[in-house]
Amino acid sequence: MRERPATYIALSLGLLLGLAVAAPAQAADKGTIIIGMQCDRTGPTQVVGTALCPGTHDYIDLINSRGGIDGWKLDVPEVDNQYQVPPSIAEYEQAKQQGAVGVMIYGTPITAALNSRLEQDHIPGTSPGFGIAASADGKYYPYLFPIAANYWSQAAAAVQFAKQQLGGSLKGKKIAYIFYDNPAGHEPLPILDELSKTEGFQLQNFAVPPPGVDVSSQVLAIAQQYRPDFVIDHTFGKSPALIIKGLQQNGYPLNKVVAMVWASGEADILGAGGWNVAQGYYTMQFAGAGQDYPVIKQIKAMYKKEGKSPPDALNSTVYYNRGVFQGAVWVAAIRNALKLSHGKKPTPTDVAKGFEMIKDFKLGGMVPPITISAADHEGGGWVRIFQVKGDGFVAKTPWFRGFRKVVVDLEAKTAQQMASKAN
Amino acid sequence: MFHSETGVFKTSYAADMALYPLPVARYAVIALAIVFLFIVPLVFSPYLMTLMNLVLIAVVGAIGLDILVGYTGQISIGHGAFMSVGAYTAANLIVRTGLPFWLAIPAGGAMAALIGIVIGIPSLRIKGIYLAVATLAAQFVIEWMINHITWISGGIEASIQVPPPSIFGFKLVTAYRLYFFLLFFAALAIVATLNWMRSRIGRAFIAIRDQDIAAEIIGINIFKYKLYAFAISSFYAGVTGVLYTYYYGIANYEQFGIDVSINYLAMILIGGLGSILGAIFGATFITILPEAARQFLTHYGGMIMSQDAVTNVVPNLQLVLFGGLIIFFLVAEPEGLNRLWRSIRNYFRVWPFSY
Amino acid sequence: MLDLPWRFVAILFANGVLVGSMYALIALGFVLIYKATDAINFAQGEFVMFAGFLAAGATHEAGFPWWISALLSVAGMIVFAFGLERIVLRPLIGRPVLAVIMATLGLGFVLRGVATMAFGGGTQTIPLPVSNAPVFIGPLILPPIELVGAGVSLAFLGVFGWFFLKSRVGVAMRAVADSQQVAMAMGINVRRYFALAWAMAGVVSALGGVLWGGMLGVDNQLALVGLKVFPVMILGGLDSIVGAVVGGIIVGVVESLSAGFLDPLVGGGTKDFVPYLLMIAVLMVRPEGIFGRRRIERI
Repeated sequence: MRERPATYIALSLGLLLGLAVAAPAQAADKGTIIIGMQCDRTGPTQVVGTALCPGTHDYIDLINSRGGIDGWKLDVPEVDNQYQVPPSIAEYEQAKQQGAVGVMIYGTPITAALNSRLEQDHIPGTSPGFGIAASADGKYYPYLFPIAANYWSQAAAAVQFAKQQLGGSLKGKKIAYIFYDNPAGHEPLPILDELSKTEGFQLQNFAVPPPGVDVSSQVLAIAQQYRPDFVIDHTFGKSPALIIKGLQQNGYPLNKVVAMVWASGEADILGAGGWNVAQGYYTMQFAGAGQDYPVIKQIKAMYKKEGKSPPDALNSTVYYNRGVFQGAVWVAAIRNALKLSHGKKPTPTDVAKGFEMIKDFKLGGMVPPITISAADHEGGGWVRIFQVKGDGFVAKTPWFRGFRKVVVDLEAKTAQQMASKAN
Repeated sequence: MFHSETGVFKTSYAADMALYPLPVARYAVIALAIVFLFIVPLVFSPYLMTLMNLVLIAVVGAIGLDILVGYTGQISIGHGAFMSVGAYTAANLIVRTGLPFWLAIPAGGAMAALIGIVIGIPSLRIKGIYLAVATLAAQFVIEWMINHITWISGGIEASIQVPPPSIFGFKLVTAYRLYFFLLFFAALAIVATLNWMRSRIGRAFIAIRDQDIAAEIIGINIFKYKLYAFAISSFYAGVTGVLYTYYYGIANYEQFGIDVSINYLAMILIGGLGSILGAIFGATFITILPEAARQFLTHYGGMIMSQDAVTNVVPNLQLVLFGGLIIFFLVAEPEGLNRLWRSIRNYFRVWPFSY
Repeated sequence: MLDLPWRFVAILFANGVLVGSMYALIALGFVLIYKATDAINFAQGEFVMFAGFLAAGATHEAGFPWWISALLSVAGMIVFAFGLERIVLRPLIGRPVLAVIMATLGLGFVLRGVATMAFGGGTQTIPLPVSNAPVFIGPLILPPIELVGAGVSLAFLGVFGWFFLKSRVGVAMRAVADSQQVAMAMGINVRRYFALAWAMAGVVSALGGVLWGGMLGVDNQLALVGLKVFPVMILGGLDSIVGAVVGGIIVGVVESLSAGFLDPLVGGGTKDFVPYLLMIAVLMVRPEGIFGRRRIERI
């Protein structure tokens, strides 16, 4: 028979594959608590992932370098889900098998897909600033923790901010909502519709189809045709930068634009061509921007002590700080869980309870005072607006919430509906 | 299946075309059944079981695509979209009418087949690259419709949660229970296709692939059979979509994007076009490859680079490996894994007296 | 008279024409390859992305001015395309369409992974010397980068059109595309022209990378521009440069108008598939595109 070198190469490759899969899932050392972590470094939201995920790792390293939590070290194996559902499920199952006490989820579609599994396995998961808005209601989503302002709180806050900027009333005003055309982008629609009725403004939606590399006609329609009084930008990935640039080129003032949290990073400003292009642009944050926080200084000190230079991601403060925030909330939850388990290795349920015991968590002023309870998994839904001024972000408002009652009512109503539909 | 054909004489066409060409094949099938029914679930860890389940689902989809691409010679970059048609059809039926799985699965398949026929109509006029891009259009249109028509997508989140399938009240929730469920459908797909492809339809498909004008001249109605091919292939895709839906517990159009269509093309190509065994090999290989690459690098990558670098490099290396292997197989081993398997088998067939 | 906002229509139309001309530049990359080698390059978008990364990298890492970066990118893409042709594509000559499609798709994955590993995941900019201030032409407001991009694209399309029609090398390439065997019999070195075609596609990608990268910013999402260009080249006809231009402008205008008027009616996102629908409609009437050459099949 005819032999080809390819045969041998492919055979040895196959063998290697077999070896790799068979490689034993690392048994957790005694004294280590594992948290599964998902990230997107290659998919459509890599702009966010490549800055956010290092933040989480650095905070965990910081805790470990101080001896961990009550002697327990943390291990946070990261996997890339490319913002896609199928790999994220396999990764979740693997984390579960490794004995992870919870998962840091990445991506709204993935949150939706993992929710039922979390509930069934009694494993807590976090979706900071994204995911299912109704999951703020801990009664119906016992194992899902948004831990930061969800999309409804963000949208309501954006409307509140527009109202304040437009002189205290939105009657007869026009607001454009430009959004990434996927479940995450659709999520705020109900609250915006509701508010447009009660506040009396006219709402026009502009969808940016995934993967969001082409926004030219939406921008044209906003700046040239619709000419709204205010724009709410809920895009992510590459689109925010293009929207900033496009609006500017079409002569629409950027101080009439407020971005929701995933259109609010340094990467988005730099992608648009730099700070001078984006002057006046309002961004929304659920963790503070900038480096003037004790925890960031500690991380820098940690790098200095190890004789390494801090990663570039650290300069992308908005997303990096959110990563730090995510890590810090987990550490707080596990600290609480260790109290419940009396110093023994906490179970995932303990950690879920640990989340619900987080109270007045401020992280040295970097984040709003977060209090998570069994009823409220969102932690209050606080945000803060920062404006692009000079070469950075300048805080424009204190931590605030918009139309809280409307949001909470809608959350409760939707969560109840979802629950009754599922049974 | 290491066997020798010595002493087996075929005296009729029926014998030559039999599903089991040799008596020993029967035992081989029994052996495989034992492995997959008893040994695999007993030995595999839950994580490996998850992978195994994904492989089984992929096998159904890959065979379906192979019928269209490998056997009939049409090109489709819209396989993922057909899956989403199946997924949403079934999910809507399950949630709104409480359909059991044994009705929901064929219903999803049938709907996908219908849409497949519509998409297949241009194949009469256009072929090759033009057809490929036309099917790409189907991918975009279907994705858009599911995303925007809430009547289909079940709301602005465009995802529908479905309860797990149950047999006589026995809920199939864990990876192990789902394994048997999925195994059944994978086996069904394999056997059905094996039979289909040695029937009149299968031979017509192959004739069209080899030279469609010649096929028409010898009396094959190529329009009819091309549409058959699209329908059957889409039916499999639809079923795959429903299986994914049951497996994930949720129907979500974002999991059936163009990259899924490309993945499935890669499966049948790396496995070897026009061969069911090839499709199975390809499905296994492509499903396991990214996971294996990740495992390998996270365990051994630390030896050559820092752990931070590993986290950054792994996802990109997965892409490079995936693309590189496609190119490698195309250049070095055009007939794919199936050919490798045959080489090995042929070697052992005459072993130890090879010449 | 229809009650349409005419100024908005005019703006959308002008915008469509400009963007469409820039699509044509990328479509030209496909056409060059197809004309000479009968292959289709599904990694064209990744070529553009990679060229953009080269230019951005040269600017940011080495601090070159933009025009040196652009030249470096052109040179880099030529070398890259030559190597690629030799290693990957030459062994695939004469293989089925699907093989080449998959090989180039695979190449796309490799390029995306390599580029992110080498240049990082963030978005990089190419600082072209084009102002951000809008240009007013009559009632129209147009972004200057699009004007420049369209101008450069059309100029290059003209050059390549002339090249294929008149120059000796161009005629030889057309002969190769027509029939490799006959071309060989006439003493044309077929392999050399294959390599040349890929190199030319490399040049076009480099231009596309600099222009599109300057407009959108460079990261691995830039590769998705390639997807937008399929309807352009199919619509125009795979082997026609005029087709690329006409197809590009038709697609650009249709996209722009559908996004302006259809999107608000149906909830958005129509511009991604309306060109594809148009393309299918045209294909049903003319299976080889508007300007494509009809092929006679023999058994």
